Amino acid sequence: MTQFTALDWLWTIAYLLLMVGGPLFFYKLARRSESDFFLAGRGLPWWLPASSVFSTHTATDTPMWVTGVVYAHGLRGLWYTFFAAWTSVGAFVSARMFRRSLAYTQAEWQVVRFGGLGAELLRGWLAGWQVFMNMFILGWVGMAMGKVCTLAFGWPEWVGLVIPSTITAVYTLAAGFWGVIIGDFLQGIVAIWAVVFVSIVGVVAAGGATEITARLVSMGQEWRLDPFAFTGWWSGEFPAAWWLTMLVIAVLGGFGMGTSIDWYVEAQRIQSSRSLRDACYGIWAGGAITLVRNAFWAAAIIGFFVMLPNLTSVAEYELGWFRQGFELLPAGLVGVFFGAILAIHFSTISSHLNLGALYFTRDLYQRYLNPGASERRLVWVGRLATFVLLVGSFFYGLMMEEITQWLIFALWLMMAGVWLPNILQVVWWRFNASGYLASWMANLGLSWLVVWILPSFGVIPSLPDYLQFWLLMALGALVFLPATLLTRAEDMDHLVRYYVMVRPIGWWGPVRREALRRGLVGEDSTPIATAWRDAAGEPASPRAPAPSTRRPLIRRTWTPEAAGGWTREDWIAVFVSPLVFAGILIGLTKLLLLQMSGLWITLATAGGAVFLYWVIDPKLRAVSVEYETRQAVYLADLEKQHRWEQAGIPSPQPKAAPRPRGG
Amino acid sequence: MDRGLVTLIGMSIAYVASLLGMACAYWAWRKRRSGKDGQP
Repeated sequence: MTQFTALDWLWTIAYLLLMVGGPLFFYKLARRSESDFFLAGRGLPWWLPASSVFSTHTATDTPMWVTGVVYAHGLRGLWYTFFAAWTSVGAFVSARMFRRSLAYTQAEWQVVRFGGLGAELLRGWLAGWQVFMNMFILGWVGMAMGKVCTLAFGWPEWVGLVIPSTITAVYTLAAGFWGVIIGDFLQGIVAIWAVVFVSIVGVVAAGGATEITARLVSMGQEWRLDPFAFTGWWSGEFPAAWWLTMLVIAVLGGFGMGTSIDWYVEAQRIQSSRSLRDACYGIWAGGAITLVRNAFWAAAIIGFFVMLPNLTSVAEYELGWFRQGFELLPAGLVGVFFGAILAIHFSTISSHLNLGALYFTRDLYQRYLNPGASERRLVWVGRLATFVLLVGSFFYGLMMEEITQWLIFALWLMMAGVWLPNILQVVWWRFNASGYLASWMANLGLSWLVVWILPSFGVIPSLPDYLQFWLLMALGALVFLPATLLTRAEDMDHLVRYYVMVRPIGWWGPVRREALRRGLVGEDSTPIATAWRDAAGEPASPRAPAPSTRRPLIRRTWTPEAAGGWTREDWIAVFVSPLVFAGILIGLTKLLLLQMSGLWITLATAGGAVFLYWVIDPKLRAVSVEYETRQAVYLADLEKQHRWEQAGIPSPQPKAAPRPRGG
Repeated sequence: MDRGLVTLIGMSIAYVASLLGMACAYWAWRKRRSGKDGQP
């Protein structure tokens, strides 16, 4: 148990006042409208969503989880945390398309992408799922706080579960997403300070980086410093096949929407950004800072292992980073550390309270129960939903026994069965609502079969998690592919409308041709588009103008129209960005442990990040400037559809007013 | 309580919540459709 001095309590109270008082200042902005209460008026510069992404994904349970995998597996355990790298691709692909749709939520996006009853059923399904999922996340994060309070003060776990979350709910209820985003910014500063400072203290306490390496060598454990210490292609506890699976899940997942549990949080931040460029940079930077955080934690936990190498209970060693803070910091600074723990807890709780309330208010209450509700009523319903989620999370928290198991299971269940459909809904025009809904409904049953039931009856062996993933994906495909191909494609009018609005990447040939025929999009004659059409066997349009000048290798001057298409520059960004993320994670960790390779990797990573910015920024600027001029008109149109004021989906006409094509 | 049982209960509630959301959507869809059909 930790002894708190008067100075410690002073620091804790000061942080508490800062973190609760700051967001409360934005109470008046939040009550203006639903858009303000849930999206902060869609006007945020990129650094606010970025800090919010980092803060939200730095929860009380996160250091436990990262500690658990690094303590058990050494630096190779860091690859467990690499799923955050979906943002490295998602920032330039799925975020761009989602931002253009202007949907408040992933559930709302379903009725933009799909049409008719199927889309409505999907929207209801995802809304119900997300209301529950946010309550569930609140429960497990709250329970992690309960464990920390037990460690620090000897309090019963329910105290840590209930009291900090209730304090968070005060400003989330009052100031909505304005409070969340401002709180996240303040809390993010406090959190990153604590992560860096305590981790350095942890490394120093273990004798410093050089001593840590020497002791690992003397213990015969130097493999712990190698992130690529595979135990074979298929065998052992860290086969290369597992690592490749994690890479595929993260990187290809960036092409889809909803391929990670984090997507739903990021989706809200994407829409709260003031432009497409801010949305892209917001989630890219948020993901990158998250990996920087993981690097500091990993270095500290390697030090913790050197000091206490014989811990065998997960529940014991997953508290390693917290123990470094509470046991190694001097009196006075312990209060600062506890203030930082409150910060990381508040940021996650507030985000998920507001997000769960958003799905209930926007997708269930407003869409289905009371489409004519006033803005004032919607804000109050949002507040009521926030309160109900809070109380529900207490129930869930008390059901949970071990944080890590729940987290991994939830992530797995989310990803395995619907991972591929989440990508297909973005990249394949023929994928329809029936297929997507079928994949969701089959997901739970298939997960139970593969993970528990079939192994219990000896039908299949108990498989390692990466093989479970591929098996679940294959079984899911046996459900959703027939469901897609045996039912009708989505209505072409609806698909054209979606295509013109979002300009999706992938196999959209028939829809693109129809949009061209109706004169709703211009012919794109960039080389990459031409190559894509050639590969798909599409004829070039006779109206396509011949390129008059030679295209530079990297184009840096764009018109909004040309910037709206998918070009070579986007593919370069998609390729370089995950390498930068991997470089951040591995290079920085090694650098903190004073390994020379860490220096070179970090320098190469910094160069890669600058190159990435140089390539993609001109495009993002061009597309954002054009779109901001049309956004207000388009939002009003979207609101009419949402309130059922426009019956059905009108057919786009050749002479219709131009739709926004940027983001 | 057994972890498997707890997980079963927890995730089943997730699916019940999803089905309720879907039922809500279906009810609203039917209501809108019948309202439209009733129009002259």
